[in-house]
Amino acid sequence: MHEVSVMTKVWLRWLPAVAVPAAIAAGALVGPFQASAAATLPIKTPEQLLAMVGANTVKSLSGTLEQTSELGLPQLPTTGPSSNAGVASALDLLTGPHTARVYLAGPTDARVQVMDQLAERDVVRHGTDVWLYSSKDNSATHETLPAAGTDGRTAPSTPELQTPDQLAQRMLAAIDPGTEVTVGQDTVVAGRSAYDLVLSPRSSDTLVGSVSIAVDSLTGLPLSVEVQARGQDKPAFRLAFTDLILQAPSADLFTFTPPPGANVTQRSLPQGDRLPPGQPGTPGEQSGSAAPQHTVSGTGWDTVIGLPAAAVPAGLTASPLLAQAARTVDGGRLVSTALVNVLLTNDGRIFAGSVPLELLQAAAAAR
Amino acid sequence: MLPSDSRVPSDSRVPDEVPSDVPQESTSDPPGDLSFDPLVRHSRTAPGWELLASELTVLFRRRRTWAMLLALAAVPVLIAVAVRLSSPVAPGRGPAFLDRITQNGLFVGVTGLVVSIPLFLPLTIGVIAGDTIAGEAGLGTLRYLLVAPAGRVRLLLVKYAGAAVFCVAATVAVAVAGVVIGVLLFPVGPVTLLSGDTIGVGQSVLRLLLVAAYVTVSLLGLSAVGLFISTLTEVPVGAMAATIVLSVVSEVLDALPQLVWLHPWLFSHYWLGFADLLRQPVAWGSFADNAWLQAGYVAVFGALAYGRFATKDVLS
Repeated sequence: MHEVSVMTKVWLRWLPAVAVPAAIAAGALVGPFQASAAATLPIKTPEQLLAMVGANTVKSLSGTLEQTSELGLPQLPTTGPSSNAGVASALDLLTGPHTARVYLAGPTDARVQVMDQLAERDVVRHGTDVWLYSSKDNSATHETLPAAGTDGRTAPSTPELQTPDQLAQRMLAAIDPGTEVTVGQDTVVAGRSAYDLVLSPRSSDTLVGSVSIAVDSLTGLPLSVEVQARGQDKPAFRLAFTDLILQAPSADLFTFTPPPGANVTQRSLPQGDRLPPGQPGTPGEQSGSAAPQHTVSGTGWDTVIGLPAAAVPAGLTASPLLAQAARTVDGGRLVSTALVNVLLTNDGRIFAGSVPLELLQAAAAAR
Repeated sequence: MLPSDSRVPSDSRVPDEVPSDVPQESTSDPPGDLSFDPLVRHSRTAPGWELLASELTVLFRRRRTWAMLLALAAVPVLIAVAVRLSSPVAPGRGPAFLDRITQNGLFVGVTGLVVSIPLFLPLTIGVIAGDTIAGEAGLGTLRYLLVAPAGRVRLLLVKYAGAAVFCVAATVAVAVAGVVIGVLLFPVGPVTLLSGDTIGVGQSVLRLLLVAAYVTVSLLGLSAVGLFISTLTEVPVGAMAATIVLSVVSEVLDALPQLVWLHPWLFSHYWLGFADLLRQPVAWGSFADNAWLQAGYVAVFGALAYGRFATKDVLS
């Protein structure tokens, strides 16, 4: 009898040590399900949703964005508190997750803060003034936009991060007959109920499985863009708000004066717009940044861009990083990611597209 | 015997003739057993405060504690002197914020914390937290601390509170030493935040205090881990080493991209997240995430330490 009560007491004293982890585990398992508990929204057709996105008038917001990529590129470990620079950071943009805060107030005031570990990159636009600031090397760059550029609804984007709105608009602009537009299950993004607009290629010759855009049910603002690759469970690319307030942030966020001691450079823009940034998973985008002599074969999702040997930067093919990422295939070397394949032929040409290797080889053979 | 009595002679706590072993029934002893002792009743009306006071007295009377605090304070001093004597640091080289020191002495405190948090702070916390219970067991004083009823839970809480106070002291030592040496060697003025905005001196001192609070909170989880390990052994050095090794293991795991699913659960994951307090506006997300994570560690390892300590046969 006494023995039994002692044993019970022993067990009772171990009870918290079992109960606390169990409670935490239960919370960790249940939490995400509650957060994504599907909303039931009035049914809309894809056309209605497209019109809703086109008509959205949200110009003021503060939010937090998260971008993740699962492209199958090798990841570099980030060791130590000091951040990497150069090639490693360029690769980091395509591999690691990124968090950014976005502030918009009207069409001409915007601020994007890419939050790195112990560092930050800022793009601040106030009227026609654009400041780029990097805390890593304490450098600031000033650009003046031509007055004509002020009418656009677009916020300035850092080369690696756009808002889901900007990205979605570009993807929707590229819709062609080869794209099937459907409405998926209603979701919740950043605590807001949203419609799921799904673009899927009719062709089976592309690496892209589907693109889904979460459209805010109240305002029509795209809240997230997710690109699925064929043969991969996790989204190959995802850009989503994790936090969103549809109010104009405080005005002093948009007035930027370079800090004392900063390295300030003035840059003028010849055409009033920078080259479109290379965003992974944007179909048909490669054409924008390619040299004028490039060739295009295929249409829509199957587009293959070819670069003649003369247009390829000299040092590119010799880069050790490329040698590491590429593997030898029939007719050249292949850099393969979940969404884009790049074929470097033995005679120095480059073919790229969201297509399987065979199509790139065919394009290379056809000239 | 009142626990605090036995602890006044600090390190040289000499065991005298008191009831020896206190087995696991100690908390359930009928109060009548000891109620004749007025001292015990007194200590129950002020639960643990005297014990805490004596614990802190013992902790901060130890030369070891002061040696560790001085070593921590030496980190920012060394950085500041080295930067002062050498040529200007190129931006982007060395630890974060190092290049800002020459423009503003207040950054020495932040740089000191950046440099200290991966190793020096966990090292000292490991020593203190690993020593909590095992140290008393090793000295043979543990059983005398447990003569009071309900003594074990209270002793655990007091020991943990002592370790937490040391976390505050360690962080403050680095920050204050950094600010003092920075003010002495470098100009002080408006501080440039990571976002490129500048704030005044008063604001920046406030931010530095926030950073110190963040770092202190970051170390609470490790202290709880150390407390638990300390209940497992009677060899304090073993508990200290195990705690320090665990902190290093956690940081190594945090650097492996293959384990990205595990990262949010590692107690060291948000250690460098205090940079979010140096943005404009302040990003509170990582402060909250860190606080929740550390609270989870305190709850889990506190419960484990309770389970182990309350059922343990204390023989020394």
